[in-house]
Amino acid sequence: MTNSIPEFETDTNCFLIIGSNTSEGHPLIATRVLKAQKRGAKVIVLDPRKNQIGHWADIFHTFRPGSDVAIFNGLMNVIISESLQDEAFIAERTEDFEALKTLVAEYTPEKVAEISGIPADVIREIARTYAKGKPAAILYAMGITQHTTGVDNVKSTSNLAMLCGNMGILGGGVNPLRGQNNVQGACDMGGLPNVYPGYQAVTIPEVQKKFQDAWGSAGPLTVGMTVTEMLHATQEGKVRALYVMGENPMVSDPDLNHVRHCLEQTEFLVVQDIFLTETAEMAHVVLPGTSFAEKDGTFSNTERRVQRVRQAIKPVGDAKEDWIIICELARKMGASGFDFQSAQAVMEEINKLTPSYGGITYERLEELGSLQWPCPTVDHPGTPYLHKGKFSRGLGKFFALEFKEPNELPNDEYPFTLTTGRLMFHFHTGSMTRRSKKLDSEVPEAYVEINVKDAGKIGLNGHKRVRVTSRRGEIELGVRITDDIKRGVVFIPFHFAEAAANKLTNSAIDPVAKIPEYKVCAVKVEVF
Amino acid sequence: MIDYKNVLTTCPYCGTGCALHLQVLDEKLVGVLPAKNHVVSEGGLCIKGWNVHAFVNHPDRLTTPLIRKNGKLEEATWDEALTLIADKFGEVKTASGPDSVAILTSAKCTNEENYLLQKFARAVIGTNNVDHCARL
Amino acid sequence: MTDRLTTLRKTIENVLPNVEGVLALRIGPGGITAPHLFSKEHSEELDKLALWPKEPVPDTLKIILRAHPDAKLAIVCRGCEERGIVEMFKHSQLNLDNLTLIGLQCEQDEAEFCRCAKPFTVHSKLTVGEPIEGVPDPLTAKIEAMSQPEKQAFWKQEFEHCIKCYGCRNICPQCFCNICALEDETWVETGRLPMPNPSMYHMVRAMHMTAKCVACRECEETCPADIPMAVHFRLIARDVREMFNYEPGASMDQKPPQLLVLEEGEYERSGLPH
Repeated sequence: MTNSIPEFETDTNCFLIIGSNTSEGHPLIATRVLKAQKRGAKVIVLDPRKNQIGHWADIFHTFRPGSDVAIFNGLMNVIISESLQDEAFIAERTEDFEALKTLVAEYTPEKVAEISGIPADVIREIARTYAKGKPAAILYAMGITQHTTGVDNVKSTSNLAMLCGNMGILGGGVNPLRGQNNVQGACDMGGLPNVYPGYQAVTIPEVQKKFQDAWGSAGPLTVGMTVTEMLHATQEGKVRALYVMGENPMVSDPDLNHVRHCLEQTEFLVVQDIFLTETAEMAHVVLPGTSFAEKDGTFSNTERRVQRVRQAIKPVGDAKEDWIIICELARKMGASGFDFQSAQAVMEEINKLTPSYGGITYERLEELGSLQWPCPTVDHPGTPYLHKGKFSRGLGKFFALEFKEPNELPNDEYPFTLTTGRLMFHFHTGSMTRRSKKLDSEVPEAYVEINVKDAGKIGLNGHKRVRVTSRRGEIELGVRITDDIKRGVVFIPFHFAEAAANKLTNSAIDPVAKIPEYKVCAVKVEVF
Repeated sequence: MIDYKNVLTTCPYCGTGCALHLQVLDEKLVGVLPAKNHVVSEGGLCIKGWNVHAFVNHPDRLTTPLIRKNGKLEEATWDEALTLIADKFGEVKTASGPDSVAILTSAKCTNEENYLLQKFARAVIGTNNVDHCARL
Repeated sequence: MTDRLTTLRKTIENVLPNVEGVLALRIGPGGITAPHLFSKEHSEELDKLALWPKEPVPDTLKIILRAHPDAKLAIVCRGCEERGIVEMFKHSQLNLDNLTLIGLQCEQDEAEFCRCAKPFTVHSKLTVGEPIEGVPDPLTAKIEAMSQPEKQAFWKQEFEHCIKCYGCRNICPQCFCNICALEDETWVETGRLPMPNPSMYHMVRAMHMTAKCVACRECEETCPADIPMAVHFRLIARDVREMFNYEPGASMDQKPPQLLVLEEGEYERSGLPH
């Protein structure tokens, strides 16, 4: 996020929420938005489903999943043709505006209406509301990123924000809402194949040398494999051993039948987790790790805020803190540099090697409660919002992007577009929330959400269960009929292993970010 | 003696980063209390946060290492499990090169754990094959 | 004149030798306060004693007493919290014989923050601070002054902002039923957001607060959607006062109206005061 959560309530005058079911995915961000609305801020929500915040939006409209780039181009078309853009910001802080201007000129509201299903007048109204609502914040989540055009979608959000000068200001910016407690931190800490901690590229020799000097040894100068690539590589025997800590690809990854096949092929699979997850069941060795309640450490939230996790109870049974397990394994392999006595000692090493975390020490966290990176030194106050005065690359670049169709479109055999997502009552693969009595009682089993008119069309008539089939697999599950979802679209939450939405999803990925297209695939729905 | 404490920590579910107190009585988790005057959550929580203690002591928790023997996962000691992994990783690395090992860190684990695991991948194994489910 | 914090610290120090612990507020990391059980073994922790923001300390008392029913404890309580403890006693949730109440009188700004009519204790033998008069509740007055359609529109919006966290129920010192109507599908549909009928949740809860709510406002404080639900409870409390002459927490020996019709033997078995 370029902004901070508290800014939404106090400073933002217009919210454009797209591809985020904020009320369910980030409930306490949604309530901030609704509080801002009470003081007069405008709320625009675009989503294939009319979610809770959609019900309260000043402007809400459904749209065809995957048409995001076209929608953004259409909004920019209106803004430029009505001269609502921030000329000063464009002149001083951006480049390549002319190319963008030329391209979006073709995306008239009428053309975009045909692609997206949002009427031309509504596109105009949204564009005007956003352009006049400065400071305006764009909020998005996986609805923007989980597409084969995910990177284009993200670039489109920043195109629109820069066009109206909504960058580097209090309350205005581009805000991806991170879905997991520490997905931000896992990226910050170099849990990625292309970067060391602090996004220092593995391909730069000086960076490699820095870590060689610090650790005694470092990775190669070539970028490693992403999750999806690792799984593919197990089939060819290119990856022989896989070590998985606290992840459950057997529920979370696309095209699960394929994932199962890959994991079965893996010569040596180690899984470290707190439950015997669907992935752990396939492992050769399972290591019992600990939950957040049993260990010390830090999480970094979606607004780059680093906060403490504190041990409340001893590890359950013979389980061990995950950071201790890693150190013991490293020492077992004869490695030095893993003699940490506490999580705090690990953070001290992070402080030295990660410029953006340089000033984030346990002592300061104890005193201040939290610090937002970049925070390079111990006297730095942290950074509530990014890009003030200057972008990290210098000038902000506009990207002229054509709309591209999703990888898989509905046809006569698979007439519905499946989109997947979360429920408020559950989290990710459900290994924690489905073992919580209250949460499980709220939603004990999977269901597919379908528009009331579509339900009639396929002959749903009091049926409690349906079968949903894609080119990759089929699942049987409950059904909820609603008029809050766009016709032709069905929604399945992905928390439920026994009716796993990801048996159906398409593993086609964005060519740059390698993110799978969870938000669009073609399915059929049958009663039985 | 009654041992009651409120331990301030961060919610392990979504990325909002709400603060909460784990209520601990006689070394057992008994409940959750939101954190007033916290900058993000301001004394509130969602239904997941309010129930965050519920899964921690679930009987399904893994409490001991397991090693697959004759197709079945059987209980093992830490030393057996770690020795087996160290030997196997070493063997694969030597025979097929460091890039034949791949590692998934976790968006649910701490910064310190993610740091250590990618350090393990790069400094001990010698590979950049390290990723997590950020995209999922 | 010494300030309340210093006086409170001294009062707790005097009480500590005679009890197993004193429940009060402590400042923790990042300046965040939480209820804490101060003990004579760790009296140095009193350096971190805090007064504000108010926290649901009686709820913590309830948790401790469930595991240690005979514990001899003291608790620092404001007027509302004292009323809460009295009602918990009347509903057999705790034994007052083992409990020392240390009354903390609220100051003007605190009372105004809580829109509190009774920001003072009446039962505590030990007290800290000077009692002040109650303050008006401008929010309740404002909502009361609305026309019927305005009220409907107001509450519709407030309720529909509800995210079904159950925080208002979880934090309430007066919510201690083993089976909760709010988890009964008859009244509140499970697993849906937006809730199909959020006013049902809030109205059922309001009914259950009848003659129980002690106006501590912890529910409003924890509500992520800022629903001013205490307004209902206060208006219902006014009706209860008029109909039954009953004020929750005001007196130790007055029977709550929802228990008035119990037969004598049944009433004794309930363990309630006579």
